[in-house]
Amino acid sequence: MHNGPKIVAFACNWCSYAGADLAGVSRIQYPPSTRVIRVMCSGRVSPMFILEAFRSGADGVLVTGCHPGDCHYISGNQKAERNVEMAHSLIRLLGIEPRRLRLAWISAGEGARFAQVIREFTEEVRELGANPLLGSITSQEEGVTVS
Amino acid sequence: MKEVLVIGGGIAGIQAALDLAEQGLRVHLVEREPSIGGRMAQLDKTFPTNDCSTCILSPKMVDCARHPNIVLHTYADVQAVEGEMGAFRVRVLKRARYVDEERCTGCGECALKCPRKLPDEFNVGLSQRRAIYLHFPQAVPMIMTIDPEHCTYLARGKCGLCQKICPAGAIDFEQQDRHLELDVGAIVVATGYDFYDPRHVGQYHYEQFPNVITALEYERLISASGPTGGHLLRPSDGQPARRLGFVQCTGSRHLRHNRYCSTVCCVHSTKEAVLAWEHDREVESYIFYTDLRGSGKGFREYMDRAERDYATNFVHGRVAEILQDEALNPVVKYEDAATSRPQRQTVDLAILATSLVPRHDAPRLADILGIELDEFGFVHSEPFAPAETSRPGIVACGCCLGPADIPQSVAQASAAAACAAEMALG
Amino acid sequence: MYWSQSRLQEPEPRVETPRIGVFVCHCGHNIAGYLDVPALVEFARGLPHVVKATDSLFTCSDAGLAAIRAAVTEEGLNRVVVASCTPRTHEPLFQATCEEAGLNRYLFEFVNIRDQCSWVHMNEPDLATAKARDLIRMGVARAALLQPLDESELGVQPAAAIIGGGMAGMTAALTLARRGFAVTLIEREAELGGSLRHLFKLYPTHADARALLERRVAEVNDHPYIEVLTLAEVQSVRGYIGNYELQVHSRWPGMPSPLSVQAGIILVATGADEHKPAGAYGYGDDPRVLTQGEMEQRLGAGDLPSLSSVVMIQCVGARDEARSYCGRTCCLTALKNAMLLKERDPHTEVHVLYRDIEVHGTHFEDYYAQARDLGIIFTRYTPEEPPQVLGDGRVVVYDELLGARLGIPYDLLVLSTPLVPARGARELARMLKVPVDEFGFFLEAHVKLRPLDFATDGIYLCGSAHWPAHLDEAISQALGAAARAATILSKDQIRASGVVSHVDEALCRGCERCSEVCEFGAIEMVEWTPKDRLPGFGLTQRAGRRMVARVNAVVCKGCGACAVVCPTSALQAAHFTDRQVTAMIRAAMGEQDA
Repeated sequence: MHNGPKIVAFACNWCSYAGADLAGVSRIQYPPSTRVIRVMCSGRVSPMFILEAFRSGADGVLVTGCHPGDCHYISGNQKAERNVEMAHSLIRLLGIEPRRLRLAWISAGEGARFAQVIREFTEEVRELGANPLLGSITSQEEGVTVS
Repeated sequence: MKEVLVIGGGIAGIQAALDLAEQGLRVHLVEREPSIGGRMAQLDKTFPTNDCSTCILSPKMVDCARHPNIVLHTYADVQAVEGEMGAFRVRVLKRARYVDEERCTGCGECALKCPRKLPDEFNVGLSQRRAIYLHFPQAVPMIMTIDPEHCTYLARGKCGLCQKICPAGAIDFEQQDRHLELDVGAIVVATGYDFYDPRHVGQYHYEQFPNVITALEYERLISASGPTGGHLLRPSDGQPARRLGFVQCTGSRHLRHNRYCSTVCCVHSTKEAVLAWEHDREVESYIFYTDLRGSGKGFREYMDRAERDYATNFVHGRVAEILQDEALNPVVKYEDAATSRPQRQTVDLAILATSLVPRHDAPRLADILGIELDEFGFVHSEPFAPAETSRPGIVACGCCLGPADIPQSVAQASAAAACAAEMALG
Repeated sequence: MYWSQSRLQEPEPRVETPRIGVFVCHCGHNIAGYLDVPALVEFARGLPHVVKATDSLFTCSDAGLAAIRAAVTEEGLNRVVVASCTPRTHEPLFQATCEEAGLNRYLFEFVNIRDQCSWVHMNEPDLATAKARDLIRMGVARAALLQPLDESELGVQPAAAIIGGGMAGMTAALTLARRGFAVTLIEREAELGGSLRHLFKLYPTHADARALLERRVAEVNDHPYIEVLTLAEVQSVRGYIGNYELQVHSRWPGMPSPLSVQAGIILVATGADEHKPAGAYGYGDDPRVLTQGEMEQRLGAGDLPSLSSVVMIQCVGARDEARSYCGRTCCLTALKNAMLLKERDPHTEVHVLYRDIEVHGTHFEDYYAQARDLGIIFTRYTPEEPPQVLGDGRVVVYDELLGARLGIPYDLLVLSTPLVPARGARELARMLKVPVDEFGFFLEAHVKLRPLDFATDGIYLCGSAHWPAHLDEAISQALGAAARAATILSKDQIRASGVVSHVDEALCRGCERCSEVCEFGAIEMVEWTPKDRLPGFGLTQRAGRRMVARVNAVVCKGCGACAVVCPTSALQAAHFTDRQVTAMIRAAMGEQDA
């Protein structure tokens, strides 16, 4: 791990992304380990995305969304829960520790909590070390060049 | 385009404004504070689903700000109303913020450097703000405001640090108050409520005892974005409060104070107890009530669950007095209805569920608008026409009509929009 | 069907060569004070498809926006990336700027390097800048794959179908009719009025129920825009917001049936019924035992004998195992009938046995005080020791205050029962494809913020169909639901966001997983007839009869949950396609040592 663990995080537009912004507005500091991808709903996060993140070398994947009952799209977060569960089973088969994948509910008013989750998860992933797949799978892509 | 004035930018005003704007009317939303949001912005979570207040309020606030048919006039007051339904002329005072609204980006650099600190009204005095400030972090519009009373430069010509460091050059100490004239077809009153001053209920010793607080103070303490980051710490020693005593009907249902019921307190105290337990499993709550009221959708189940799963004890007994022991723990004296004997319960923190009362300046606004208030000081509404005030062309919604919970306020706001649209369109 | 031709989804356009402009913001010192902005600009310049990279002090200022517009024109940009604060406040502004410059608003990408970078890593400028590089790489990768999106439009039938002709339904009908919309008011009984027909007086003023009822019915019947269908029931519902069609069965002899009703919106105002507590306290067997509704009817009819004692028991069939809710209206109804009994004969002893007196607010609390002043006797009981009837015409109750058991004789025993969902509510819910809660009351989109809407667009709710409501509440909600409906009906067209899902019908296998997963009913299965011969797809010629999913762009909310379950990737969530998200993931990892 070059500069510390690298975590791909998915955040939903209505709750967790807003919570992350609130942490910023409040100037709450946390480690620069995450790369946030905004989606409209945590229910959009397919197990496929989670696998792709690990395949690409992410040390940890964090899926965040609204608390149960708060989902802007009624039940998207419930779908997210199931998708993450499925992803957990799949990554285990690939030899990736399940603790590298985490689901967290963070509301728009929980800036401090967002920072706390990042801190805790970063630490946990740091303890686990670098992504065990690194070097064992190469990526080939057409249409999108990644520098 | 026909125009409507909405006075008050709380949830009721916001809902009414959105419903009117979506029907193709132009809405002038006048809000006294520097930001819209009202009381709901001060709450942490709302019953009965305990969802985060800001999360559900924020999108509506942003919609209001961005809607092409809504003009926000924040930090502004209605001064005079003339005319009649279909053709009102309203004079609005837009107070000087001393900040250029076009240039300010709300970055907050100025507030970090401002040397003047004073009690933060949004956090009910539990924390401090600066003389240049943002009403709260998710303020809409996100524009700083300078409090002229406490700004050293405006009061005495010294300092001016904010102006020096503002990267956008947005500070304008020369800014003047402005008057606007609005021509509208209808007016919606959505000015909300105040809380009863607990000092009137002397036997609860709110002023003297540090660990006797009001429900609103509690909301700010338990709020994730509040002064203690959501930790329930006792004012006297900063220790976590584990035994909570909620005193219902503080100032309500009382001939000497307010004889009416404030509607929402039984459920909001339940919510507060639930939130405390969610933060800290060792919390135990006592809710001292006269009648335990909660008949809205989901309220009863919420209260039953609190009793079953969240260490909440509902004690049937009106609180006669609150005393204090040497450790500054409040001691709640009540008559236990089951045994008809006086009892005492020592708690770490006593929370007074104070009455919802009309805004202190309600009579003044009623005068300006030419509408009647009822015998309780709330805006009078016509029988079987719950949105209509005594003056044609003026409607009302939300707690300015009387204590109401959020679902009621929102429904009433849409009702007011229906009536106002009809009145404005003629 | 009244609709305007909604734009059909074209096949994915050939990807033009992206020409991306990247604008990195200083935001005064907020970003520039912590990140190496010049280095970020330099970095962006080297990314694939980036033809221009620059910085500005405040990109959201007039000068900053003008620079973007100028760059689009002068450099022929077809994608714009701004790296600054947060899309949640500023995305619409930049999207509008792109539109002004002639670009589709969905060709804009926002990178958050302030709220989620410079502001939260203030003590680690190098790592923060490294993170910002990754974020910009992610933004550029996505921007290269963004497509222009259409915001489809749908016509709106300026008419309302209101189901339920009680006070709520009639109030909503009048409100909408006075706004100029055609209203069809569908009532199951032979007369309008609903529950109001069975009331005598109205709390808290004791106004005459019949007088109010007759006034409102007359107004409805007189209004030229309201068509009243009585003895009418909804049999089926088809369509979606702006374009509903209801089949209504009329029970009038000689009336054609079913009738077809077209409407832009539907409003549910079907009310509630009084719970009849069979067997409780002898109800049904003992003629002295009645419900509050029955008591009220007898008070209205004026056929009661002289009564020496009446006992009312609250919470019968409410706040118990079977039905945990509080009926909201029963305490006030009991107070009303108790006071009417006292007014009728002050010598009648009236007892109210209660658990909590559920009156709230200003006027109702005074009403309760009035009842006490009239000498009505209130005795509290606990659920552990409920009142009991002995066969001898007495009710036994344990009085907490006295600490003793009382035996109260009664001539009449009145049971206060809660309102329950109206007969047929569940079937109607199924027809409308809207949910009900655990008790069978219709379930709104959001308890607090959308109490009068269903999650399904274009259907609204008010009155006791939603939850037991006082008359003023039912009226208030009816006005409110009418306002909500008017926000749709007042538009000629409703516009959808471009961020909706699309189905590539050639790839769709008709498995229906997407339509099952959609909370909003935005996906329906339609018969697929191929428009062209698709080379390489032999299946197209299988008699053209295949069911495929089709997304209604106006109803779709853009959550993307459907895209996750599609096994063939036929269904894509526009603006958050698999390719776009995957590109961001890979770009995020771009600097990883492989």
